[in-house]
Amino acid sequence: MRLKDKLPLSYLLFTTRGRIHRSTYWLVSAFIWSTFYVLHTILYDFVSEGSTYILYPLLIGSLVATANKRLHDTNHSGYWLLAILIPVLGPLWLIYQLGFRRGDKHQNLFGTVPNEAADYFKNDNGQPVPHSAPERIINDVTQLNPVVVADVFRPKSVDELQERLRNTTGPVSVGGGRFSMGGQTASSGSLHIDMRGLNQVIQFSKEDRRITVQAGIRWCDIQRFVDAHDLSVKIMQTYANFTVGGSLSVNCHGRYMGHGPLILSVRSIELVLADGSLVQASRTENSDVFFGTIGGYNGLGIIVSAELDLEDNLAVRREYHNLPRSDYRTYFADTIRDNPEAVFHNGDMYPPTYTNMRAVTWVKTTEKPTVKTRLMPLRESYPLERYFMWAFTETAAGKWRREHIVDPLLYLAKPIHWRNYEAGYDVAELEPRSRTKRTYVLQEYFVPVRHFDTFSAKMSEIFNRYQVNVINVSVRHALPDSGSYLAWAREEVFAFVVYYKQRTNDVAKNTVAIWTRELIDAALSVGGAYYLPYQAHATSEQFHQAYPNARKLFALKKNLDPDFRFHNVFWDTYYQPFLSTGLTG
Amino acid sequence: MLRLPILTVIMVLLASFLFFRKGRQALTTPAGKGCVVPKDWLVSNPHPVTPTEHIRPADQTFLTYPEWFLVHSPAEIADYAHERTTTTFPYMSHVKQLWQSYGVVYDQIKGSFAFNTGYHIMIWVIGVSTTVEYALKALYETVVGRLTNPTNGAVVTDEDKFNAQFSQDYVDFIRVLPWYEFDFKARIPQLLKGTSFFGPHFIRKFERKYMLLTELLVKSGYGYLIKIGTKASYDEALLTTAVVINRLPAVPDTLTPIKTYPDGSALLLLPRYEAFHPAVSALVKQGVTFREIAGNNSAILLTVLAPETWQPVSQNLQLVFTQPIVTKPGLKRVALVTTVGSLDKTIRYAQEQNVKIEHVYDY
Repeated sequence: MRLKDKLPLSYLLFTTRGRIHRSTYWLVSAFIWSTFYVLHTILYDFVSEGSTYILYPLLIGSLVATANKRLHDTNHSGYWLLAILIPVLGPLWLIYQLGFRRGDKHQNLFGTVPNEAADYFKNDNGQPVPHSAPERIINDVTQLNPVVVADVFRPKSVDELQERLRNTTGPVSVGGGRFSMGGQTASSGSLHIDMRGLNQVIQFSKEDRRITVQAGIRWCDIQRFVDAHDLSVKIMQTYANFTVGGSLSVNCHGRYMGHGPLILSVRSIELVLADGSLVQASRTENSDVFFGTIGGYNGLGIIVSAELDLEDNLAVRREYHNLPRSDYRTYFADTIRDNPEAVFHNGDMYPPTYTNMRAVTWVKTTEKPTVKTRLMPLRESYPLERYFMWAFTETAAGKWRREHIVDPLLYLAKPIHWRNYEAGYDVAELEPRSRTKRTYVLQEYFVPVRHFDTFSAKMSEIFNRYQVNVINVSVRHALPDSGSYLAWAREEVFAFVVYYKQRTNDVAKNTVAIWTRELIDAALSVGGAYYLPYQAHATSEQFHQAYPNARKLFALKKNLDPDFRFHNVFWDTYYQPFLSTGLTG
Repeated sequence: MLRLPILTVIMVLLASFLFFRKGRQALTTPAGKGCVVPKDWLVSNPHPVTPTEHIRPADQTFLTYPEWFLVHSPAEIADYAHERTTTTFPYMSHVKQLWQSYGVVYDQIKGSFAFNTGYHIMIWVIGVSTTVEYALKALYETVVGRLTNPTNGAVVTDEDKFNAQFSQDYVDFIRVLPWYEFDFKARIPQLLKGTSFFGPHFIRKFERKYMLLTELLVKSGYGYLIKIGTKASYDEALLTTAVVINRLPAVPDTLTPIKTYPDGSALLLLPRYEAFHPAVSALVKQGVTFREIAGNNSAILLTVLAPETWQPVSQNLQLVFTQPIVTKPGLKRVALVTTVGSLDKTIRYAQEQNVKIEHVYDY
């Protein structure tokens, strides 16, 4: 949850910090005056006239505080309230300033534009453990995987990182944005390395459409940098909060057409090994390290920089087509797969029947974008999104309303965005008010395109049998990844991105583990795979069946990280047993 | 922060409920639902003897009430300002009395006369202006004035004394002439020169000066605009009311008839507005009865100020509504309707009952 959402109403009413919009000012004024009237009347009528005086500090305090915030919105200091002392003109000017004048469109002396976040949603720097410094609790965005680490280290340079690794022994875990959802960024008792300090652009070539960045940089930072040059990231995931290092380690994908896993846009990487040495890797140089590191869940070393491909930043227009699930494969093959105009594509499958789909495609256009900004503006809160998420998951017929009322209304618009805009979503739009009792989690399954229908049927049967509270199943397409050891697209696949809501108690977590294993079996039965950045529910057998080259990676790890320094849930779960049974095991 | 809109809706609803709730002192009590005046009193005179230029519409006796309320109200304020500072004056009660009484008088004429658009517009303009003025004053006095008000609301500062004088002068002025003719601007130097800057109750003095200065500035500006608007939209009002009486009084009067008729009746021009009812009372004292007032011979409204317990009982009149005088406990305003022909009897009845005639609404 964001700071502002946690703040009580008293922050708005009794502090002078920050800025508020005109509409907020009207609203809060209505609140203050009506509350004053109610309390005044009650005290006057039922207690005594004198008792009403206790209201005045509150009334005047809140009026001054909110007026201060509103003055800040137009870059005026709160002292301008003294204008009220000039008869007639002072109050008139203030009424205009407070109630009618539009706020500054950009950040000013007093803060950012109200409701617009200064930055993308970030995970914390680790919660301190009481009386046990420097230990900290490292958690991921789901708040389901708290891990106590021995210390947190934020390197400011690659040298600093190398030195730390050279001079220490013992387990190390690495985190960036920490948006993976199964403890891939922490390990108990390890030294946690927070890579977000290494966030610079090292090299950029507009002509070659190429950028070299430090691994702690976020995709949104790259977007801000390349947008000025009319360029766009070639492949990334939908949400721009992630760090490049994290995305590389899980070899993520997005909704891009004609692409696939992130590795297809990576020219080379640099990584620091367990002994502190720096290694270059690409398809031609140290290729085993290259293919073992990308999508390798930080087993071999710490990625410190990467050279990435860029593409032109085009305007794209949203189109959609509603169809039964059974028609999707043919529709996709005939109209989307080889369509050079299609830039983004995904197919949303509607729970709880999973038989209807909405295929959404963003196509190249020369029309003028319908949005004012080139990059997606950030918002401080997403009340509407949050309400819909709640309604879809918690109310009777919520899912029906989404399919038949809400989505049709939302899709009435015909937005035209920039490619960069459409790749700039903020994870914050998914954040619920609280994750303590219930949380939203992702899972993902990859299925060869020809088995789309078989897997869909199995999946929907499992979801319905376990009454899984699925919000959405988003289908994306990926071309094969020919190299990486933990390739999830060994051939052309459809990715099923499952977004669901679960309770956080142990029974609920256990239930999720059970149906997850069934779903993995369903994917394996058609020669598919499941995605690894989520909860490590899969058995060792399932893992090796889905990732047949894992043993090669394990052997490479044994070689490059002989003391098993790089830990996290993934390696603890699947590599540890492998070590104890021996390399041939 | 979704809580704020929800809380705001709740508080606004609660506040509206408290503002409009019943059960407190009724500020206007109508004599009955809808029209209580006998229908045969609500007719225009088909064959007036009065010359056309002196005839005014019959329904205006009712419609002038809200306008006159805006004289009665400043009068009450002026009386109050001598005793206590106006900080605690119940402005909002007067706003309610204004609109409630407008509703009651309109109920009496609705259906019996054609809709008098021009007059209604005028009532709305002055009604809304007064509502805004009183609401702002109530708000200001509650939030600021109350905090600087001397103990028991005593009129101790020069500024509060200035206010008492100004309120009195203002009401004396508007009894005779339109409010917008009042010279607010001339009061500003009087305020600034006539009061010291420092002195005991410094904060009160400063705050009152600020408040009075604002009031004078706004009213002189607004008055200027209304004056232009009124001149453009309405004809210059006559300052006399023509009456036809049954006979000339025995005792020679300063009033000379415009015209006498063969049956002994006579047409007189009486002063309009405030001075109308003393003139009428003087004629009644001499045993005169009225045949026409401003060309009308049917219903005519008058208000009297009477003790709370007083109930009018007479065949010649009909009670329309009562309003308590909120700053003078025990006293109420009683609106009565009679006919032009029975006006003399009604006035005599009021005099016998020892109740004060506040005003006779001469159309």
